[in-house]
Amino acid sequence: MKRTISFAAGILVLALVFSAWAEARRPQPMPLTPTLTGETEYCLTCHADLEEISPSHPVETYGCVVCHGGERLALDADLAHSTMRGGKNPSDLAVVEESCGGSDCHSGQAADERDHIQRVLTSVQATYAGAIANIRYTFGAQPDLNAYLGTRAVQDTTTQTGITSLAAFDPARETNPALQTFAENCLECHLNSEPRPGDEYARFSGCAACHTPTATTFPPRSRDAAEGLVHTLTTAIPYTQCNTCHNRGNYDLRTMTFAPRDDQPADRIHDYYQPIAQFTRCEWTLDCIDCHTRSESMGDGDIHNNQKEIQYVQCRTCHGTLDELPHTRTLTDPNDLAFRLAALNQGARHLELGDTIIVTETGEPLWNTRQLPDGTFELVGKATRQYFTFRPVMGTACEQKPDEQESRYCHQCHSAER
Amino acid sequence: MRPNFFHHLHPPSIPAEQSRFRYTLGAGGLGIFLSLVLLVTGALEMFFYIPSPEQAALSVQTLTYLVPYGGLIRNLHYWAAQALVVVTVVHLLRVIFTGSFVPPRRFNYLLGLGLLALILFLDFTGYALRWDEGVRWALVAGTNLLKTIPSLGKSLYGLVVGGSTLGAATLIRFYSWHVFGLTLAVVILGIWHAFRVRRDGGIAAPPPKQRTNNARISRFELVRREVLAMLLSAAALFVLAALLPAPIAAPIQAASDSLGEARAPWFFLWIQQLLRLGNPFWMGVAIPLIALTTFAALPYLFETLPTDQQGHWFPRAGRGAQAIAAGIVLAWLVLTILESLR
Repeated sequence: MKRTISFAAGILVLALVFSAWAEARRPQPMPLTPTLTGETEYCLTCHADLEEISPSHPVETYGCVVCHGGERLALDADLAHSTMRGGKNPSDLAVVEESCGGSDCHSGQAADERDHIQRVLTSVQATYAGAIANIRYTFGAQPDLNAYLGTRAVQDTTTQTGITSLAAFDPARETNPALQTFAENCLECHLNSEPRPGDEYARFSGCAACHTPTATTFPPRSRDAAEGLVHTLTTAIPYTQCNTCHNRGNYDLRTMTFAPRDDQPADRIHDYYQPIAQFTRCEWTLDCIDCHTRSESMGDGDIHNNQKEIQYVQCRTCHGTLDELPHTRTLTDPNDLAFRLAALNQGARHLELGDTIIVTETGEPLWNTRQLPDGTFELVGKATRQYFTFRPVMGTACEQKPDEQESRYCHQCHSAER
Repeated sequence: MRPNFFHHLHPPSIPAEQSRFRYTLGAGGLGIFLSLVLLVTGALEMFFYIPSPEQAALSVQTLTYLVPYGGLIRNLHYWAAQALVVVTVVHLLRVIFTGSFVPPRRFNYLLGLGLLALILFLDFTGYALRWDEGVRWALVAGTNLLKTIPSLGKSLYGLVVGGSTLGAATLIRFYSWHVFGLTLAVVILGIWHAFRVRRDGGIAAPPPKQRTNNARISRFELVRREVLAMLLSAAALFVLAALLPAPIAAPIQAASDSLGEARAPWFFLWIQQLLRLGNPFWMGVAIPLIALTTFAALPYLFETLPTDQQGHWFPRAGRGAQAIAAGIVLAWLVLTILESLR
């Protein structure tokens, strides 16, 4: 019996050694107490190799949980990730208010130009209102081209456009089969849509759709890159990021499907536009965001009928016309929005009080431009950091008729060949 | 060799036939050992557990992931608790299948049934103390079942939940019951149960003259066997605890009554399955009570067992009781398996 007991004691000792070994194999917890929350979190135990998301969101200040949610104390991946907001995309518009919002963050006052979330929610990029109205009008489901429906219901209490709300587009209520096919095939791409299943599509909605470049666009630095994801937020958005949605192919209205392009563009000029489109040199040497403004892409706070109503930057915004120079503003107020925008895109351009920059006809600053002493202008690429100089039309040999000043008329002489 | 304190807790000698493992299955002794493990690990957990709705699940996470060996202690507590339910049921079946529940052991049998009920309540309250999404079913369905009891239901619900909705009052009540009320009752009834074993004449055996084998083993040998069983089951507990972590989930989000896809703890899966079959009072309260009452009635329905049939497995005169107990346990198993396969 004594030998049996000694043998059993030996087994217990082995079991104890085994549990001690299992304990020792557990990761050494790595605490982080972000100054913003004051609540210790242990995400870095596993995610120490993740790059800081942006200079505006230092990890010591924000940590991880304030944006991503999740269980801050759990060291088991399944549990830790179980309550993450929006999965791989906390900026998905379904959860963006919790992740990115708050009056100190991105849902501030319109007067301070800090109401980003409300603007995006009502923007055409999120509502998809124009396309929905157009398709419904085409198939006789509504009497005109006005927007009544969006991808989701949305309100605008301070409307300037007269549209106070959009109801959610509900395929079940549509009788025309073409509209149901449209609902099946064409509602995946906009900022407030349910993205397609799969990690590679997870960040095609919400803020991340534009501000988090894909791995093919941006040099990835961590293991998430293997899944095509980069942990970066940036305002220096390269055209390739816009191309993840735009310029990917063409719609086929007969089958209500999207036909992805099958060419393999080897250079940027071929990557840039649809085969038959006309465009000028600056449209493929610059990035989209070098000309198109924040209110055009992120919305101006109002619900609009379609993209045309909100997209207004034309060639003449920077080049003026034969009779008019472009609108400019000399920066005299240190609180001018231009300084904040320049600061957000660190290093692209150092603006100083007294600089004269181009502004759009609605007064939006093109902070990456500057008037040079000789009257010409300079523009720096927000993503490329390349410098370009350009002249106004006034005083040149341009023969454009005064009443034909839209970009399409400029394209007649100045389009690029490929 | 002079008997020490632990030897003195045992009778000087017991019949060799009835001290074999294949007769006792070691279930009673293991039950005591597991209860001791639960007392020690539970006391250690109390240093970290915070019984408030905001902190409970977070403190369990802290204990599990951040406290050195905290996860191991919690897993030991969890596995000892699961094992205790199994061991207690095995012990009950052994007692019925060997006809050991008839007078003079009837009172101790009832004490044992009481202990089984207390252990189920301890498992239930301990499970609910996690206060995370994983225990939503137990919390919501378990407490709502009380409301279905005619006339008594509402006040019983108020008594258990501490108000009209689940909240801080519920958690502190469950905590107090778990670490104090029920534990104290188990300790007192447990000691009484063990005392009554000796008072009722030790382990059930035929009278000496009717025995085929009159050999006995000493208390020293008995304690050695118990030590052996403890060493082996402790080793098994440690391996289980190191390999299979106790369940854990995210904290309960806002007090919501929705059940969603919630699942009962395994020892209540049978009730969850029963509830799918009909009226919640009958399925969730009455049937379990009837089952318990049936067990309690066995020593009254089958009051005597010929002395020559005592101390053996499946005595002929005890077939009725054996069939009823087997039927109930079989139904319990089938319901549990049906629910777990859903």
